[in-house]
Amino acid sequence: MNSLTVVLAPGPVHYLVCALLVCVAVAAHRSQRARQLALLLASWLFYVGWGAGFLSVLIASSVMNYLFGAALKRHVTAGRLWLGVAMNIALLGFFKYASAPLAGEPGLGFLHELVRPIGMSFWTLQALSYLFDIYKEEELDPSLLEFCLYMAFWPTVLTGPISRLPTLLPQFRQRIGPSLDDLSVGASRVLQGLFMKMVLAEILAAGWRPGAGVNAGFDRINGNLGGLDVWFLAIGFGFQLFFDFAGYSHIVIGAARLIGIQLDENFDRPYLSPTPAAFWTRWHMSLSSWIRDYVFLQLASLRRGRSWVYFSLLLSMVVVGLWHNASATFIVWGAYHGLLLVAHRIGQQVKRSLRYQLPQSLGLTLSWASTFLLVSFGWLFFRTQTLAQAIEMSRAVFAPGSYSDLSMPLTFYAVTSAIVMGYAMYHAGEALLARWRVANAPDGLHAVAIELMDFVLARRWWWLAPAMVVVALFVGLAIGDLKPAAPATPFMYTLF
Amino acid sequence: MSDQTQQMIDYIKSDVIRRPDIQIDENTPLVSSGLIDSLALVDILMKLEDVTNKRISAGKVQPKDMDTVGLMFATAAKVGKPRK
Repeated sequence: MNSLTVVLAPGPVHYLVCALLVCVAVAAHRSQRARQLALLLASWLFYVGWGAGFLSVLIASSVMNYLFGAALKRHVTAGRLWLGVAMNIALLGFFKYASAPLAGEPGLGFLHELVRPIGMSFWTLQALSYLFDIYKEEELDPSLLEFCLYMAFWPTVLTGPISRLPTLLPQFRQRIGPSLDDLSVGASRVLQGLFMKMVLAEILAAGWRPGAGVNAGFDRINGNLGGLDVWFLAIGFGFQLFFDFAGYSHIVIGAARLIGIQLDENFDRPYLSPTPAAFWTRWHMSLSSWIRDYVFLQLASLRRGRSWVYFSLLLSMVVVGLWHNASATFIVWGAYHGLLLVAHRIGQQVKRSLRYQLPQSLGLTLSWASTFLLVSFGWLFFRTQTLAQAIEMSRAVFAPGSYSDLSMPLTFYAVTSAIVMGYAMYHAGEALLARWRVANAPDGLHAVAIELMDFVLARRWWWLAPAMVVVALFVGLAIGDLKPAAPATPFMYTLF
Repeated sequence: MSDQTQQMIDYIKSDVIRRPDIQIDENTPLVSSGLIDSLALVDILMKLEDVTNKRISAGKVQPKDMDTVGLMFATAAKVGKPRK
């Protein structure tokens, strides 16, 4: 094995070289170009660990979109914009779907290296937003180096958050130098993300013992699941996905913050959303805002009329489903959320026309509970392998007689309930503290208490994450032979 | 404050937010504060076309360009084309 192979293969040497390059970028005080070049090389080196073929696709897409952007800037025409959009969609479609079957054909074996480049769905959206922004005549003037860095930036290249050039470009041009606050917040976010992914998501996925997790429940394709089983699986999967992807987003945002770069947030307490519309402003925010800005608003304003707006909303959510995967389950999942959003809007109009209004707290509670259950039900389509399996599981939900059958191990219900309750209590605690802060004037002992509380809470993941891992391990060992199954689930959004 | 601006503010208060008592002026953030959502943005864009008598391509508009009533009129002046 030669030295180049050692550096390129994912492992300690690979990551060490990446880290060194990032350090060079941070240390390069004088030259903006040297700093950007070091960051770009680190990003490409990080990405090449998943395959040299993938890196060649990323570089080709970066150069192609930069040239499209330059052409569009010279003459802002819809034709040039849509040519760029079509090329990006064609590339995405080819590498995500067509390259795998073609790679089996004689003489096309080299395509094996190019099948489904990791993160392509994410950085293609970044490229498209650049073209749309130029079409909107935003003042964007990245150099080729800066644009390649925007596409390949190592914290976001694998699974987002989907960034926009107007957010990143000014930061790439500033001297990178994390403040103490950046370092503290960054490390805290990384720890929080690791805890969410490696502990909470893994326990939900694998269970305390083999066969007692969400994965085992969904993989039991021909098993008889009762209504309660299906609800627990749907809710458990919803939280597994949340802890997995929101955890990953915390790690990415924290890693970028460690070198002084602030990325946009991707999640904001989505399961506390009181309406489906609010849910989509809090879940995978970088994708939902992208779809809102570049798909929904464009479509909805093509024609007048309420029904056209609703149709645009439905179609936009189908696009969200298709973006995840061009399979029946994801299309149905997207359409289901589109219908929820339309139904919510119609429901609001009906509510306004009624004379009777529920008391506010009762109305809010009912609205939150129904949103939570409807969103959770939707996860069945997101997680199941086939539409037939999703329909089979949905039937159990609507069969009252099946609710008495519990076919999963008891630890599955206990662990899922504990994690969901823990999440609810965490946010309830936050709300109570905020209320206490408002109720007490900041003077004397209260002022000291508030200062102390702010200090401890700002660094809570420094101590909370390791402490909770230790407690969880001790509890597991104390119960006896209950021990977490081996973590084996990759970050889920790397699959898209 | 011009008649057009007042007309737009009245529309947002009565037809979009549906709270006639709320205080809104030209510089009140509407999108970034969460007062209006994506669906409402479409309605507002269409009302803006009627009020200014201009055709405003959504392809040229971003939510941040519609954050305040003042920005809405600036956007209409920048990207709007006279209706035929």
